[in-house]
Amino acid sequence: MQNQNDRNVQAVALVFVTLISLGISLNVSGFEAIITNERSGDLIHINDEGSTTHVAKLCSRPRGMTKGINNSQVLIACSDDDKVITYNRKTKAIETEINNVTGAMNLTFHKPSGQLLVTNEGASRASVYDFESGRLIAELPTGLEPDGVAITGNGNLIFVASENAGLIHVFDGSTYQPLDVIRTNLRPRRIALSNDELWVSSEMGSRVEIFDTKTRAKKGEVIFAPKGFRPEQMTPVDILFNPNRNEAYVALGSANHVALVDTKTLEITKYILVGRRAWGLGLSPDAQTLIVLNGLSDDFTMIDLNTRRPILTKRAGLIPHSIEVFE
Amino acid sequence: MSLFRFLTIIFVSLIGHASAATFHVVIVTASGAESGTRGQSFAGIQTRVERPVRRGVELALFESTTSFEAYGVVPELKIIDLNDQQPIEEQLSQIPADAMVILDLPKPEFTQVATMLDTLERVTINVRHPDSDLRDQMCLPSLYHTIPSERMYFDALGQFLIYRGWRKVLVVHGPSERDKKRMEVLQKSLKKFGAEISDTRQFTISHHPDDRDKNKPEFLTGGASYDVVAVIDSERDFGRYIQYSTRRARPVVGDVGLTPVGWHRTLERYGAPQLNERYQQFDHTNLLPSSEAMSDAEFAAWSAIKLITNSLSLAENNAQSLSPRQILKHPDAQVDLYKGTRGSIRKWNHQLRQPILLATGEAVIAVAPMPKFLHPKHYVDTLGSDQPESPCQLN
Repeated sequence: MQNQNDRNVQAVALVFVTLISLGISLNVSGFEAIITNERSGDLIHINDEGSTTHVAKLCSRPRGMTKGINNSQVLIACSDDDKVITYNRKTKAIETEINNVTGAMNLTFHKPSGQLLVTNEGASRASVYDFESGRLIAELPTGLEPDGVAITGNGNLIFVASENAGLIHVFDGSTYQPLDVIRTNLRPRRIALSNDELWVSSEMGSRVEIFDTKTRAKKGEVIFAPKGFRPEQMTPVDILFNPNRNEAYVALGSANHVALVDTKTLEITKYILVGRRAWGLGLSPDAQTLIVLNGLSDDFTMIDLNTRRPILTKRAGLIPHSIEVFE
Repeated sequence: MSLFRFLTIIFVSLIGHASAATFHVVIVTASGAESGTRGQSFAGIQTRVERPVRRGVELALFESTTSFEAYGVVPELKIIDLNDQQPIEEQLSQIPADAMVILDLPKPEFTQVATMLDTLERVTINVRHPDSDLRDQMCLPSLYHTIPSERMYFDALGQFLIYRGWRKVLVVHGPSERDKKRMEVLQKSLKKFGAEISDTRQFTISHHPDDRDKNKPEFLTGGASYDVVAVIDSERDFGRYIQYSTRRARPVVGDVGLTPVGWHRTLERYGAPQLNERYQQFDHTNLLPSSEAMSDAEFAAWSAIKLITNSLSLAENNAQSLSPRQILKHPDAQVDLYKGTRGSIRKWNHQLRQPILLATGEAVIAVAPMPKFLHPKHYVDTLGSDQPESPCQLN
């Protein structure tokens, strides 16, 4: 009898421990991230511990990436192959391709309308595709070296940043007619939309400029100055919003830091040291972990947003460019 | 019509801008005064790229089309090719008061024209000559230098050697006055960053056995202890034979081997591939192969125009024409140089501050300033003559 009881206690304890450990892992809510590597022409899957779980050879110079129709899909701009591919992270296979997308650089997908917007780097334009059919709907003329592209949630306005021209071209989301041109500081790279605000990183102007999406008037700017770096070393690229915390994250490029910005006051609340030429940014689904791609040191850094400290830095492929994070 | 040649190119005609400001750009050349070889060594072998800077200027104007439209500016490019049979003053008098004058001239003509135009208060740009004397002694208020100075080039090299831990340097130089002057600048740079010169030797072009200590790389580089050989050979004449022929198996840097440059065809970061591709392809009547890139002089001319067109938001909005002088004097004037850090003007000697690339024929090995070389004020001011040490104080 005694023996049987002991066994029961052991069994209960085992179940209990299993439940606890399950509970813990649920709390952390695991994720998978996909990273495009511009120079090695591949993408990697990483898990929430930063381990690379799969490497997929893709195409020549994969750069911009965005989520597709479902939770398995990413759309990737293959710049040197002039195409956009759809990659399924679950089957680990390429599903579809849109070809003849000259100098595909960056892209964004407007799920409600099924429109895919791609910037054509060498061709000074952005292209709008019907994603399902792969049909070209419109070509939007921009300045030289278009990079960042964004569309408002309601699909009414399209914004395209031209790096060389120092301009944001604004287009009507239904007629595709040019509406306006916003002058920015040097080398505007990425555009991020939050409510009625348009945040633009100026890579050579070392700042983020904020414009009103409706009036296009400049509302403010954020100028960076982490300790030990000179102003001209601030070369911001990616901007990412975290509405849960009223924060924006800005990768500061050659300054090797990521900046945490309070979106209400525009104050910089913290600089976190990461790898060399920090540019791509990704956020875990639970908004607890920020992932920074370091384009010159070929690695990525995970940051715990609760402690605001880096957790780990691990190896990516050659020139990691963009990241998407999934549950 | 053997007077001066005039070429006027108007790039954009603006519709809807009632008060468009003209941006006058003038390139002054003296094709008759150029040496016939232009970058060629013995037997016509091309060892340097030397060509007119005009393509760089046209590229910069082409790139600025949308900025011109956005700011209501119309560019106008003129080229004046000086004729030595005519009085120079007369030929230069055609230059509009608010023009940006790019001097694509050999040094004697450059000095003469820059001085004359300074008296006439025309803004001039040095795009060809890294020489220290033009910055330190000539030091003209209306002259700006967008080509890096010799000090910037050699400081970049000095930083690289220290960064690599190649502290002991054997300096080999040619017999010309120019080589000797440049060697002095190199010595200053090496000293500045703490390198040690193990010996300084002069080569001679000769085949005579009596000269073999000076004409054979194996002898020239023997009997000394060094980590690296630095070669000064402005004409790229003898120095080419030193690599792979040194007595010790050591790398060669300077005018051959690993060379400090302003621009390079293989820079693959910071948007540089797009700029190189545009340079090759923007002129549909004259496409260049992908092996071609801007020379340092062409890049300097391109930088000068882009400094203005990247800074149009600073232009005072009152005139019929754009004032490059006003922009150049503005403390916020800046230019996207496709080298990872923006460029701006050093107010004390009017030098464009910029990163320097350290490149072989095949690859960019490093971009200076090198890590850990820090300046209290400006990231790239560890390269070149800094404010306290500069004899030129225009401010």
